[in-house]
Amino acid sequence: MAENLLEVSNLKTYFFTRAGVVKAVDDVSFTIQPGETLGVVGESGCGKSVTALSVMRLVATPPGKITGDILFNGDNIMDKNMDELTELRGSKISMIFQDPMTSLNPVFTIGYQIAETVKRHRKDMSKDQAWKRAVEMLDLVRIPDAKRRARNYPHEFSGGMRQRVMIAIALACNPQLLIADEPTTALDVTIQAQVLELMKGLSKEFGTAVMLITHDLGVVAGTCEYVNVMYAGHIVESAPVKQIFETPAHPYTVGLLHSIPRLDDQRGIRLTPIGGQPPDLLNPPPGCPYAPRCPKVQARCRQERPELKPVGRGEQVAACFYPD
Amino acid sequence: MDTKDQFNPPEAIMPDTGAIPISPDITNPAQSLDLPAPLAIDEKKLQKPPVSPFRESLQRLRRDKRAMISIGIIAFFVVVAIFGPFIYQHVDAPPYTSHVDGNTYPATVYRSYYHSELDRQDELPSNQYWLGTNEIGQDILARLMQGILVSLAVAVVVEVMDIVLGILIGVLAGYFGGWIDQLLARFTDLMFAFPGLLFVILLTGIFGTSADSFFSHIPVIGPNGNARLLLVSLALAFTIWPLMARYVRGQTLQLKEQQFIEAARTSGTTSVRIILRHIIPNLFSIVVVAATLDISNTIIGEAGISLLGLGVQAPGSSLGLMIADGSQFVNTHPWEVLVPSITLAIIVLTFSFFGDGLRDAFDPRSKD
Amino acid sequence: MIQFLIKRFIGLIFVVIGVTFITFIMGYFAPGDPIAFMLGQHFTTAQYDNLRHIYGLDLPWYQQYFNFLKNLVNLNFGLSYEIKGRAVIDILRDGVPISLELGLWALFLQVIIGVPVGIFSALKANTWIDTTNQGIVLFMYAIPSFVLAVFAQVIIIALDQGTGINWPVSQWGTPWQYSWSDIQFKLVPILVYAAIGIAYFARLSRTTMLEVLRQDYVRTARAKGMRERVVIYRHALRNAMIPLVTVIGVSVGFLVTGAFFIEQIFNIPGIADITIASISSRDYPVIQATTVMLAIAVVLANLVSDILYTIVDPRIKLA
Repeated sequence: MAENLLEVSNLKTYFFTRAGVVKAVDDVSFTIQPGETLGVVGESGCGKSVTALSVMRLVATPPGKITGDILFNGDNIMDKNMDELTELRGSKISMIFQDPMTSLNPVFTIGYQIAETVKRHRKDMSKDQAWKRAVEMLDLVRIPDAKRRARNYPHEFSGGMRQRVMIAIALACNPQLLIADEPTTALDVTIQAQVLELMKGLSKEFGTAVMLITHDLGVVAGTCEYVNVMYAGHIVESAPVKQIFETPAHPYTVGLLHSIPRLDDQRGIRLTPIGGQPPDLLNPPPGCPYAPRCPKVQARCRQERPELKPVGRGEQVAACFYPD
Repeated sequence: MDTKDQFNPPEAIMPDTGAIPISPDITNPAQSLDLPAPLAIDEKKLQKPPVSPFRESLQRLRRDKRAMISIGIIAFFVVVAIFGPFIYQHVDAPPYTSHVDGNTYPATVYRSYYHSELDRQDELPSNQYWLGTNEIGQDILARLMQGILVSLAVAVVVEVMDIVLGILIGVLAGYFGGWIDQLLARFTDLMFAFPGLLFVILLTGIFGTSADSFFSHIPVIGPNGNARLLLVSLALAFTIWPLMARYVRGQTLQLKEQQFIEAARTSGTTSVRIILRHIIPNLFSIVVVAATLDISNTIIGEAGISLLGLGVQAPGSSLGLMIADGSQFVNTHPWEVLVPSITLAIIVLTFSFFGDGLRDAFDPRSKD
Repeated sequence: MIQFLIKRFIGLIFVVIGVTFITFIMGYFAPGDPIAFMLGQHFTTAQYDNLRHIYGLDLPWYQQYFNFLKNLVNLNFGLSYEIKGRAVIDILRDGVPISLELGLWALFLQVIIGVPVGIFSALKANTWIDTTNQGIVLFMYAIPSFVLAVFAQVIIIALDQGTGINWPVSQWGTPWQYSWSDIQFKLVPILVYAAIGIAYFARLSRTTMLEVLRQDYVRTARAKGMRERVVIYRHALRNAMIPLVTVIGVSVGFLVTGAFFIEQIFNIPGIADITIASISSRDYPVIQATTVMLAIAVVLANLVSDILYTIVDPRIKLA
């Protein structure tokens, strides 16, 4: 395969607070190939959002601290200074966020907000050209009557349309990687489908790699090629999407799949929620973070932390002692 | 002066030099990152008996050092104002023979706030006059204590009216709506149209002298130039109750929508009972906080009015009057103007801190 | 926009009527007989009736009120009760430019100093700079203006005596002139006058700026690769300014009250000072005039701030 687009190694993002150290991301490593769509799944608080923010170094670094290596096209993002980072953001790596209602600046027109990105990264373009590009992008994300609507303000758009605008902003400079942090969680189900389809289509068209963060396995099933499953700041399983659904290896993945209804389930099958409490990130117990809730737990699990190792076929890896 | 306190500074977020602060709430880090709160079970908490929100707020208040110190200082001023003159007039207080008229006066007279010895002007602190004398030979300490008493008395009177009127009209307007609400709104608009003390200045300016003669025969308050204080109090109360009523109305509206009120209504409780048993007790926090800040403004208001010559008249004393009198001699005898100024500043700052402390204790959300 | 203006204007009329009515009624019920007072010891009935007629006091109250309003529109504030037949406007005339100068400078400084201080505090939140600022601002806000004025005077006098310079502590220079001598007279009163407003704006802008910096769209701006300076001064500030515009009316309200105290302590012959002097000579029309003028000034300021608000916030749509 070609060189990795994004190569994250031993990423740790800790937050130093009065109450203690919160290990939001605790030694995470993964790669993304050019043009690939990677899904990152997990429940609230598992560290998926923080991982994404860490890649862009958008984490507040007084309470937070990022260690590890983040190689983008071979360059280590951790070595870059503020100027270089701002060059990178928005042009090579873009990010869209969860809540479209608050992610756009209410006092600027949406055309302006798109054009602003263009002007920032394309010094060769004039104001008019940037505006033109903004309108082009609005067309691309299927905002009707783009030319006129570019002059509207965010409050004049619905949630779904605002998210499209966010996508337009993110893709305006043709980034190589788009990070989408729960982009459809705040939208109605029907709109969700539209937005996901748009993202899928555009990423195919422009060869953009996508890191899609979500807690919704259904979203993952429809859009991703690879999936990382995260729990308590660790990646517990990573595999091509088909294998995650057909042969999940890690007990947590299994639990997740069993706790949501499937179209092909038989009638009368009960949903089995995962017992126990969410993990304590301030004082994590030693060993596997899932041990307190794992139905397959062994004595070993509570003492040693399992590493990701290949299971099943192909590229599937899981961090568990169970298959042993 | 009315809408000063609408905006509270939030707990500051962490500064950073180029990354995104994820609104960290330092005391609860997990919350800030959209992580679940650590569920480590607190054994100790399970053993303590459940505490009513009111008690909890009181506990919070007790822990707030700033508020506790403020209460102490206020208590100190109250004691000084009430018992100070008596103590002062009986400690190290031999009778004094005046060189002006030859009479011998006991300390209860020459250390009173209205007595003047014209040959003892502008003196610095001495054994006889602990804080010295002013430009007509009056005892500064005695006048100061009287001034503090006036400030506190006016504050109490005004605040009682403020609270009573504010709660009465506010609850009626909020609970029943309709014409009472409309009337309150119009009235509030009108009072807001008179900026700050303008209404008080107008009222005391025009009716001041007749108030003097009208009230002068009332014992205790009447004589010695204090008669006008009643008018001043009425005028000040008139200007500040609309804001209190607005707060109360707002809170009543919020409470009205809550389910426990609906429950009471469906079980047949009369409106009066609902108001008395459910609504008014829940107004406590907002009323107390607003009242403290109103007290602060009232004290400033009374001092200001007296400073302009429209409040307490000579030979009475008010902190404002002392400042006005003393400011003419700031060149030669700065002592006379600094004493009441600093005292007033301390009183006002103390009430301000106390109000802040109360607000933090009773409504911790407003810290955010 | 026009509809909005008309609606607000009608509201303004109501408020003006309310204020003028109350002011008028107070004057109507004022104790004492100004006519007798002005005529002195001996006068005839004819003289009495004549003067009474000139002052319009022989008309029924509603007629008097109507005339009062009518005259107001022509900036005619009636006749003085102290000096026979003298127009109130003449009495106040000299004070107006002085009070105006004081007030406008104070308003200007409130914004120019207060807002940047607040924003700066917000950017340096939780550092010692912020804490110090907060402390100073609290001091300026809680302590009444006349106390600050006294402190300022004492400090200046001490400096004068210590260093031999002769900085004045009272009175005013020539209205709207700025020679060095004028500046010496005017600088301190204006600063003290503006103090409470500076503190108010500083607190408010700190609060709104902190609030804005927490918003998602600020994070979006950074994610877009905008430089930090742009994020703060274009994206954040523009939003933080919005609430500030709405409090112009409030800050003018501070100025109105403060005028009386500042002019009193610093001995400045503005309209507030003249008015207080008139009160002691029972010249009620003067206080009526000043009240109406100042109340209208505040109402107009509120109107301006409403209009500005609709301009700076695109989310506000006018019906």
